[in-house]
Parts: sequence; C-alpha cells; structure tokens
Amino acid sequence: MAEQKVTTKIKEAVKRRKRETYTPVQPEMQLGFVHNNVDCIGCRACEIACKDKNGLPAGPRFRRVQYIEGGTYPDVYAYKVNMSCNHCAEPACLPTCPTGALFKRKADGIVDIDSTLCIGCRRCEAACPFGAPQFDPSEGIVKKCNMCVDEIEAGRKPYCVMACMMRVLDIGNIAEIWSGELDSVAIGPQDTVVRQVKNIAAIELTLPSIGFVAHSKGKVE
Amino acid sequence: MSTKMQIEELYGRLNLSRRSFLKSTAASGAALAAGGLVELKASKEARAFAYEPYPRDDQLETVVTSCAHNCGSRHMLVAHKWKDVIVRLSTDDGRYQKDGFFGKDGLVEPQLRACLRGRSYRQRLYSAERLLYPMVRVGERGEGRFKRASWDEALSLVASKMVHIKDNYGPTALLDQSYAGASYGVLHKSDQIEGLLGRFLGMFGCRTSSWSVPSYQGTTFSSRMTFGTIEDGNEDDAFAHSKLIIMWGWNPAYTFHGGNTFMYMRMAKQRGCKFVLVDPQYTDSAAAYDAWWIPIRPNTDAAMLAGMAHYIFTNELQDQGFIERFCQGMDAGTMPDWAKDKENFRDYILGKYDGEAKTPEWASAICGVAAEDIKKLADMYARTKPAALKASWAPGRNAYGEQYNRMAAAVQAMTGNIGVLGGSAEGVGKAWHAEAVAYPYDQWANIWFQAIKSDRWAHCVLNYPDVQREEIGLWPRQDATDGQIPNIKGIFWQGSDWFNQLTNINKEIQAIKKLELVVCMDSTITPSGLWADVLLPVATHFERHDVALPWYKGHYYIHRPKVIQPMGESKSDFQIFTELAYRIGGDTFGRAYNPKANRDYFQVDDNVDEAYLREWWETKVMAHQQVEMSWDEFKQRGVYKFHLHRPHVAFQDQIEKGVPFQTASGKIEILSGQLAQITDWKKTMYGYEIPYIPKWIEPWESLNSPKTGEYPFHLISPHPRWRTHSIFNNCSWLRETYEQEVTINASDARKLGIATGDTVELWNDRGRVVVPTYVTERCMPGVLVLHEGVWMDLDENGVDRAGNPDFLTLDEPSPAGAFAYNTVLCNIKKSDLEHKPGWDKLATSRSQVFRRDL
Repeated sequence: MAEQKVTTKIKEAVKRRKRETYTPVQPEMQLGFVHNNVDCIGCRACEIACKDKNGLPAGPRFRRVQYIEGGTYPDVYAYKVNMSCNHCAEPACLPTCPTGALFKRKADGIVDIDSTLCIGCRRCEAACPFGAPQFDPSEGIVKKCNMCVDEIEAGRKPYCVMACMMRVLDIGNIAEIWSGELDSVAIGPQDTVVRQVKNIAAIELTLPSIGFVAHSKGKVE
Repeated sequence: MSTKMQIEELYGRLNLSRRSFLKSTAASGAALAAGGLVELKASKEARAFAYEPYPRDDQLETVVTSCAHNCGSRHMLVAHKWKDVIVRLSTDDGRYQKDGFFGKDGLVEPQLRACLRGRSYRQRLYSAERLLYPMVRVGERGEGRFKRASWDEALSLVASKMVHIKDNYGPTALLDQSYAGASYGVLHKSDQIEGLLGRFLGMFGCRTSSWSVPSYQGTTFSSRMTFGTIEDGNEDDAFAHSKLIIMWGWNPAYTFHGGNTFMYMRMAKQRGCKFVLVDPQYTDSAAAYDAWWIPIRPNTDAAMLAGMAHYIFTNELQDQGFIERFCQGMDAGTMPDWAKDKENFRDYILGKYDGEAKTPEWASAICGVAAEDIKKLADMYARTKPAALKASWAPGRNAYGEQYNRMAAAVQAMTGNIGVLGGSAEGVGKAWHAEAVAYPYDQWANIWFQAIKSDRWAHCVLNYPDVQREEIGLWPRQDATDGQIPNIKGIFWQGSDWFNQLTNINKEIQAIKKLELVVCMDSTITPSGLWADVLLPVATHFERHDVALPWYKGHYYIHRPKVIQPMGESKSDFQIFTELAYRIGGDTFGRAYNPKANRDYFQVDDNVDEAYLREWWETKVMAHQQVEMSWDEFKQRGVYKFHLHRPHVAFQDQIEKGVPFQTASGKIEILSGQLAQITDWKKTMYGYEIPYIPKWIEPWESLNSPKTGEYPFHLISPHPRWRTHSIFNNCSWLRETYEQEVTINASDARKLGIATGDTVELWNDRGRVVVPTYVTERCMPGVLVLHEGVWMDLDENGVDRAGNPDFLTLDEPSPAGAFAYNTVLCNIKKSDLEHKPGWDKLATSRSQVFRRDL
C-alpha cells in the first residue's frame, strides 16, 4: 500500500521536487469527482460508457472501478472505489511530459492531453500514482480522461456520471464536494465526504480533485 | 470487397480510434465540412479538446432508441450518428420525455439509464461476429464450415426441407426453440410461446413447442398455482417504501429487474430499511445495501422457509386475520369443504402428518443455517411492517424448485405482506401490464401439435419412439393426438442460443447429429449457429422499426426507429418468415401470415412496419391506457413515461377492496385446488406428482446427498452481469471488466492448493470444463459459482475450454418444469488443460483492477 511507504522523508522530497521543477496552474475553479464507495453496485456502466464515448479498444481504460473485499467467511465486507483521472491540483504527469502535450486548464482545472503532441513515451503513465494515463497500443500514444470537456462545455456532465445507474458518481466544484455543500444525490443525507481512502495512493503526492463517501473499512485514521 | 476490407470497415464504424473514424467517414461524405468539424479544428479552443477534430454530440444526429436484449429490464439508448454510422451511444438524461429537461430524474419519472451491456451495443452491432449474409453449411454439422449463399438459395433450401420433413414425419417434426434473445419488441418479437416463429410454424402446420421457461418455470408455476397469475410483482418504486427487504437468491446489482429497482432500494436504505441476503454468495447487492448475509446450501431454501414458518406459527406471529380472509389451506380453519380430508399447511409444518415438525433446528440440519439465525430472520420478518420478501428465481431453478417459491408465497401470505405498499408477493414479479403485441395476433398465434419440457428435446430425439410422455413433460391435448411422442427432425432457432444455454450440452451434441434441418436466425454467429445447417442474418434492433417495452417492471414505451440501414444483407425476422410463407404456400400463406404486406416486404419493410406500429399505438395504447400523446409525437420524442397515481403494488385491490384473486377459489391458494384434484399425473404436463401444499422435498443432488463422496462441490450457475445469457460474450469491452471464472471459498481453495488465477477443471459424469479461479471469502464453503452463458469452445476431447457450466448440468427438469440448472454436484482440481477466455483470445484483465485487503 502506497500510503505506508510515504514517510516524512518522502513527503519532504516531494515538496522539494515540486518547488524546484514546476508551478502548477492555479485554476479559477477546480472541477472534481465524487464517488460513493458504499452505495455503488460496481456495475461498471460508467466504464463502458467511457470506452464508447472515447472510442477505446480493449486495453486502455480511462475509468476503473476497483473491487475491494475483505474479512473472513462468513463475516465479510466489500465495496468499490471508482476513479478515472483525478485532475490533480499538482498533477504528477504534467512535468514529466517532454513535449508539453499534457496541460491543465485554467478555467476548471481539468488536466487534458493534446494527442497531436503526444509521442507515446509513457513517462506520464509511470508518474501518475493513480494510474490515470492509459497507453493505447493501437495508436502508440497515451490517452486519458478529460472529464468530457465537450459535454461540460455544452452544459452537461461527463458520460460516466450520466451513465451511473445508482447515481453515486458526480462532478462539481471540488471545494464544495469536500465541504459537503454540493447538492448531489451521490452523497446521501447521512453521508460525509473524505479525500483519502485506504485503497488509493496517498493524496499528498498530487492533491487529487476527488472526494469519496468511504466504507467503514476503507476509512483512514 | 475482401474479408480484410470488410473487417477494416467494421472497425472503422466501431470508432475504435478517432483517427480511423474520421478517415472512414470523411471518405464517404464530402458534406462533412458543413457539419462544423472544420470550424472546430480551426477554433482557438481546439487545444482545449484533446482529440480534435472530433464530432461532439451536438454536431451529430441524435436518435432515441433502446436496448433489446433478454434481461429483466429495458433502458433508453440514445444513438449519436453521422450519416449511417452510430458514432456513440448515450442514455436517458431527462431531456427526451414530454416536459423533460436535462437532469430531470427522481422518484416519479426516473431516467432510464442503460447498464453496461446496453452501453456496449455498438460492439455487438459492428462486431466481427456479425452475420451479414446467408450462409449454408459445407462441412459436418458442428464443424463450423459455411459458404456464403444468396437469400434465394438459402430460403429455397429451408423451404424445401421444411416441406420434405413435414410430409415425411408429420406435424411434430419441427421443434420451435425461439426465445426472447435480442429480438424483444412489440413488433419484431422472438418468443418461446407466441412469437413470430411460433405463428409461422403453426400456420405451416408443423410445430413442436417448448413450454418450460429456462429462467423461472418453477417460479411461474408457483405464482400461477398460488395467485392465479404471474403478475404478482410491484413496480420498482414500491421498493422504496419497505422497512425490511429480504433478497432471497436475488442480486439486483447483477440482474436488472426493472428500470430502477436498485436505485429505489438505495432510497429505502436511506430511509432506514434493513436488508437481508439469503444466498450462497455475498453479492455486490449485499455490499451496496449493507445486508445481513445468511449463507445457505443451494437447493435447501424450501427447508429454511419451512423452519421460518414453524417459528412464526408456534410464536403466534402470523397475521391470522389476513389468513382467514384471503388464504385457502393455510390452516385447518381455511380449508375448503371439499378438502376436509386433505392436508393443510400449518399442520404439515407442525409435523402432524409425517411426525416431523419442521422446526428451525430441523431446517438447520438441511440448509446449514444456524437455527438461531432462522428464528431471528423469521422474527424480523413477522414483526417488521411492511417487509418485502423477494423470493427470486435462482433458487427455483432447482430440483423441486417450485416448492421453494410456493413455500415463500406461504410465508409472505402468513405475515400479511401481500397487497401492501412496501410488501412483496414476488414470485415472478411481473408488474405493470404493458400492451405488448403489435404483430399479427390471431387464432394462429400459438398453434402447436405437441409441446414438451424445453430441456427434454435431446432426450426425446435420442430415444424416439421409446419415450414415455412423462419423461418429456408432454402437454395434454384434447384430441386423438394426445400423448403422441413428437418425432423431431428439425430445429429453428430465432433469437435464441439454446444449444449453448440448455442443460447437459454433451447430450444435445449427440441429439443434434440425428436431425435433418437446423436453422439459426441471429444477428451474430453464436455457439448454436455453429451447429446449424443454414444461418440467416437478422437485422438488429438498430436496423428495423419497433417499439420497446419494459419486459418486467417499469411503465414506459421507448420508440425504436430504424436508426441505420440494415448491414450487409440482413433482414428482420418478420421479413424472413413472410418471404418463406410466400415460397411455401404462395399468396394464401404469405398474406395470411403478414396481412398488411405483399411480397415486396422482403425488399422494403418501412411502410408495413409503420402501419402495424401505428395501429398498435392508436388501438391499444391510446385506447386502453389513457394515453393522449399521438403516435407522431411519440415518434418525435422517442419515449413515453406513464404517471401512475400510486406505486403499483400487486394484489392491492384484492386486499383493500376485496376483489377476488385470480385463482379458482378467489383466494391465495396455499392449498392448490387444481393440484389437489389431479389423479393421473402422467397425463399432465408435469408427469410426476406435485404436492398440493408447499413441502420440502429432498433434491436428487445436493451437499446433503451421498454423491458428495465422489463430487464434493455444489455448482450454481447464476446470470452474469457482463452478458445477458450468452449475448455480448464477444464484446471485448465487457470481457475485459470481468472474467469467466469459477468462484471458490478461500478455505476450500487452500485445501486444494488453488490460488486466484489458477486454471482449474470442473467435472462430473456429464462433462468437463476449464476455467480460471477466483478465490474469495465471499462464497460459502462447498459451493462453486460459474456464471452461465459463456460461448462454448470444445477441444478435440470434448472438454469445454470456455467454462460453460451447462456441460455439467443435468437435463432432468423438476416436475413443474423448472430447469435444474442449480442442482449440480461436481469436483474441481488444478489443471494443465487449456482455458480460452473467448473466441478471439482476448486477454481479460480483471487482475489489474481486483484487489484484496484481508
């Protein structure tokens, strides 16, 4: 588990590296995702909607639903953690890109990639602690979630969100997601939103723009 | 066009890469420039969009349609198309209905959001497995070698063989194995009993029908006997009002029963509803609803329910007022006069007749659930009002599966949870009644000359004429042909992949070699199709005009226009049958079969289909269902959602207004009058005795039987989420998210030295299959889970490398007709045999996303 490896020393090194290498774009407003780990039935309609929207072959998957399970028979539990690109405040992918194909949008903080500039070196893929950039072997380039900017610009929401049969995935101003102000059916009346759950890398690495309704077994102390 | 070019064209249409999409469409349309793409490319915002140039939804033509596969639901698909190519699919976002707007959702008019299968439809539509031309077999049957034929050649062959077979073997020689498949609509309907094929063969005068339904015949029997109808279901929004939901063998996270059932159950949870799961597996439903999991040995559900009934009776927790008003035969006081010498349910439970009280302790020894847990659940269920015991279909797909559903109905009735909002009488669970028939429906709709239990066809073919009527569940006839064993010489598959889906496939393989004609009508090649003599390419629901209706729950219609022109030479089933009718019986047969058409219909179907659909809308939907929207407005919007003035709850009028139940007695028949009066069981379609009150009957194979010495594991084969039965098995998008694998309990796996991902073989006397393993604590020890529907793939020794559980199932149905899909013992071991996840050898990738945190 990544979070166990993040010692104070590594955290210091990450800070130093960020300071010395680049200053991320400060968006006017940061959009992000919220996912309810408990109420999600894990159907993966979001994943397939995304594959269809983005015309992906078998292999690259912009959105990935992790199935978490544990306990010992018959006292078991299970939940889902659903992530695509987290459109981080400090994207680890961005400074690794030798051609400048990766960029962060000023208006909404979406991290996007210009496929005409990508040379397929896959450094971003290695750098991202959340596995967001996906190599498409059929074209020899890296592709990633751009939160369906075309849909957002048309006043709608991304395909994954609009595909969610349980209505447990949503987007919004990440500050409102974290503070609980966002009015979204993804977050139930008794639910609270957290930034870190056990089954993802430490958020200090990149400050991902995502919130979760965590399962009791997925909460971090 | 070369094969390679065709495949490239297919891939181009699939939009596998945006670049190739643009290449292929640009070539076919110079008008592209007018569509705004060039403008987008030149705009300063171009860099803001990664893969430009790229058609945005608003630059494409939007067409509302729906999915069409055979699941318990029906959702909207919205096709975004460029010329004649569907570029992508989205789903309902609230915009399309009357008074709709983007984002409209909620309790009353929820969005009809498609599931993962629906969202993958373009892969099926444009798949390399698509049948584009008629094909005729050239090799041995089952070898899979075909040559392309013209429609004229293929239909002449079929027509002449049909006539030959009828002339030589009589009116039972053609077996109708039609099924819902991917052809479920109000007009283009493949259906086991009354679809387009049944009417065609019936009119032709040669048809043996298959009467038992694979998924839920035990349940159907129970609902009909107990309530007199299979419409014993609530609409999905009713689940939001329950205080306790017991999911008995029910996994709504996998099998989408109704448009939004799972979402309404989430609302119930937010309102404080408690959930229980009785199932050998801790399912995703249990996880999402935080259910109390009660693992149970497969095939023992009726015993546990009997134990609950015992607890409820002995603690006087039953709703006696409800019983006395509405039930027949629940106890001595509710016995009809004619049945005073018969057994009643309460005294059976208390052990008066056989000296064995069906106590929770008695039940515990059979079902493996602690007696304390049986009591606790019974207590919860009897005291929580309203409570929904959803007795689902899977535990009924068993030896004596009908007894489980009958027992559940008795427990639902004794607690008074029937006909009340938040309760449940399901059962089959069909709820709101849709107007389902736009195709010609008349005295020819269901003509048959014999009807057999569906999974006994191979037995019948292999043993003819030395077959007893009860062995094949022969349906009684009122004429001289009653009891005559059908002499089956040919099979028609319309929208059905039954060869892959029925029980005991190795026996089917023996039987099919004896036939003289096998016709497969489908949109893609299927494992069944490989065994056919003639393959007829059928247009998908994107390529013909129809209206979708919810099959199970949900109150809406979705228009299904011809979104694109039929690919290749594909035709609709209705076109094919009409043309065959003209070929066999000239204008007389042709006009009778399709009264609104003439023979040109084979070439042009638009006006005729429009006429059928308009008539259906105007004379049925508008006339019977208080719909004011015109057919033209419906077509323009694409969807009509009904507003029900209250959540639809089965039997509410019976309970609130005293309307009689649809049984002969007008009561809930715990004691079935119909069954109690049968004297000669051999002459019924059941063949063997069925008790007239619900009883526990030991199945022929279970974890309690001596056969576990040789075959220590009980195999169940539930419906998967990533296929609908066998449909979509060829879609790589779906196959990379899940894998055909056998689920085994972690302690069992440790004993056998098996780890997740290991290849294993499962075998019993009937067959052998090879699959990878998923080791988990979420499965009960002694139980193996292998999902049905994977496309069989035999090696040279007859071992199935794909892992189809129906090589292990037994073609021995329960008396009431329930397929015994879940009554299977087998063994398991690590294997060096080859596993093939799919015909295209695609590597599946569950391991990348699956994590354990023990």
